[in-house]
Amino acid sequence: MGDAMRTVRVKAIVEHGPGLKSFLLDGPIESAAPGQFVMLWLPGIDEKPFSISDLGEAGLEISVKAVGPFTRALMEVSVGDYLGIRGPFGKGFRLADRTLLVGGGIGVAPLRFLYREMGRLRLSAWLVVGVRTAADLIFPDYFRSLPDCLIVSEDGSIGETGIVTDVIDRIIDQAGTTRLAAAGPEPMLVALRDLGERRGLKVELDLERYMKCGIGLCGLCCVDGSGVRLCVEGPVLSSAELRGVTDLGRPHRDATGRRRCGPD
Amino acid sequence: MPSLAVRLGLLRLESPLVLASGILGVSASSLALVASRGAGAVTTKSCGLDPRAGHPGPTVLPVTEGLLNAVGLSNPGADAMCEEIREFKSRCPTTLLFASLFGRTVEEFGEVAAHLAAAEPDLLEVNVSCPNVSSELGLPFEAKSKELAAITALVKKKAGDIPVALKLSINWGPIGEQARICAENGADLITAINTVGPGMLIDTNVMRPVLSNQVGGLSGPCILPLAVRAIWEVRRSVDLPIIGLGGVASSEDALQLIMAGATAVGIGTAVYHQGLDLFERVNQGLLRFLAEKGLEDLSEVCGAAHG
Ligand SMILES: Cc1cc2nc3c(=O)[nH]c(=O)nc-3n(C[C@H](O)[C@H](O)[C@H](O)COP(=O)(O)OP(=O)(O)OC[C@H]3O[C@@H](n4cnc5c(N)ncnc54)[C@H](O)[C@@H]3O)c2cc1C
Ligand SMILES: Cc1cc2nc3c(=O)[nH]c(=O)nc-3n(C[C@H](O)[C@H](O)[C@H](O)COP(=O)(O)O)c2cc1C
Repeated sequence: MGDAMRTVRVKAIVEHGPGLKSFLLDGPIESAAPGQFVMLWLPGIDEKPFSISDLGEAGLEISVKAVGPFTRALMEVSVGDYLGIRGPFGKGFRLADRTLLVGGGIGVAPLRFLYREMGRLRLSAWLVVGVRTAADLIFPDYFRSLPDCLIVSEDGSIGETGIVTDVIDRIIDQAGTTRLAAAGPEPMLVALRDLGERRGLKVELDLERYMKCGIGLCGLCCVDGSGVRLCVEGPVLSSAELRGVTDLGRPHRDATGRRRCGPD
Repeated sequence: MPSLAVRLGLLRLESPLVLASGILGVSASSLALVASRGAGAVTTKSCGLDPRAGHPGPTVLPVTEGLLNAVGLSNPGADAMCEEIREFKSRCPTTLLFASLFGRTVEEFGEVAAHLAAAEPDLLEVNVSCPNVSSELGLPFEAKSKELAAITALVKKKAGDIPVALKLSINWGPIGEQARICAENGADLITAINTVGPGMLIDTNVMRPVLSNQVGGLSGPCILPLAVRAIWEVRRSVDLPIIGLGGVASSEDALQLIMAGATAVGIGTAVYHQGLDLFERVNQGLLRFLAEKGLEDLSEVCGAAHG
């Protein structure tokens, strides 16, 4: 049963830059939809949600940016160590032709998997990848090699200088995309949703909320408003589903369930 | 026409089904998600005085026919919970709202009760039986007769007109005896049972317990017979209405608890196995039962198994 904890060995580790690594795990998942996530257990430390950044013969790939205690501890993991996996959980992106994929920062991770799956199914995809600086991008050589991928960075250290919203209109005009699938920081996602809907695209956003159980029980990842559980009905939500979310782009709940203070 | 409405003490529920504490009970929005699916009442996550993050992960693990959990009473604190309760009541006026609470000391139970009572929940449910916080908070208060009596009396005093339920488990001593202590000290209802155990799971690769808390409480279909027996004992011991729960996943299961003595029936873990449609399915099953037996309502079979 995929929901149970399964420990597997780390087969390979790729270091992309300081505090940015991808881990290839030996199993334990046979199939998953891009956008789905796993709960990753670092024995003795904690368990946290991570998107699947690739899945294939080689195994399960997770890409992690160090932002706090758990992700920093993950950076110390070595090949051969055991990690625990529960999942895959949630509902992923729809696989449909003429989709523009937009990823910001570590949000590129699920789109890497989505792009590969779309390629496998011969669905046409365009990819826009935005980072602050070159060192923030996972698999830079891979993305540079893709014909339909545009990279932008805020400091111009890789690809064009700018942010993803600067170039979206241009790509939509050139490529005639009809769908938008995006993952990354929520302010970016909100801007993309607005832009996409203005251009008449069907929009899907990959959202994050605090997750504990991963199986729809603890209630921490319920969005405000419609209450949908991001770990079951999400984390990818469509335009229609997004209209029910009243805390989109606003402070979310933390591990206690309390709404964080902050700008409204 | 048979009716699913039940009288639970002074309360009237449109359906006997209650969302159990700890399942989707963090926010008004998560509770509203369930209220719209056929529950007569929903219970908040157990709330303490201050915000609490609970245990690190893993906190919830599936086992055959159930779950082992040690969430560790994560909650936003009483003041934030009051806001959620008020928002829920304005959004879902026909579904009752039960506020679950716990304290680290006898006095704190009283403080939390006073805070939550200000938001006017329909019931205060006092969790004296959580089996997964002992390493930090000591044995659950239900295990200690004097404290159990004191907590019941204190919460009752702070609750004003709001009815008070004490939530018990079968983990520390005879539940009938514990229920009697609650009744003697003013409890209006008994909720039973909390999760069973505690239990433990070990990963055989890393060779250590999987739950970060090492131990956790068992719930789901595998504990149903234990719940049926516990409610039977409570019913024998006290003359209070009972919110029965533990492993309910069908109308058949719910009827077993009702015939053992429960007036209302909580559902928790089965939401994981069967999704949110479960409440409507169980409601339909209960209605079919009433129609087949030619009964008006469920009060006619409450405690029926006692003969
Ligand atoms: C569905 C989903 C997919 C994700 N995919 C990736 C991914 O592919 N790569 C990646 O690097 N990160 C991903 N994350 C974020 C990752 O879970 C957090 O970075 C990680 O939990 C941080 O833990 P920490 O102890 O290092 O940092 P902390 O200092 O504890 O927190 C840093 C930030 O991470 C958030 N966070 C902490 N714990 C959780 C939790 N249990 N659930 C959700 N958010 C949390 C905090 O709210 C805070 O904003 C994903 C999150 C979700 C919900
Ligand atoms: C994940 C989870 C969290 C729980 N949290 C609480 C809680 O905060 N307070 C409480 O009184 N009971 C809590 N419980 C216990 C349930 O309310 C219920 O008593 C128990 O699970 C048995 O019912 P079930 O088999 O229908 O789940 C929790 C149970 C689970 C599975």
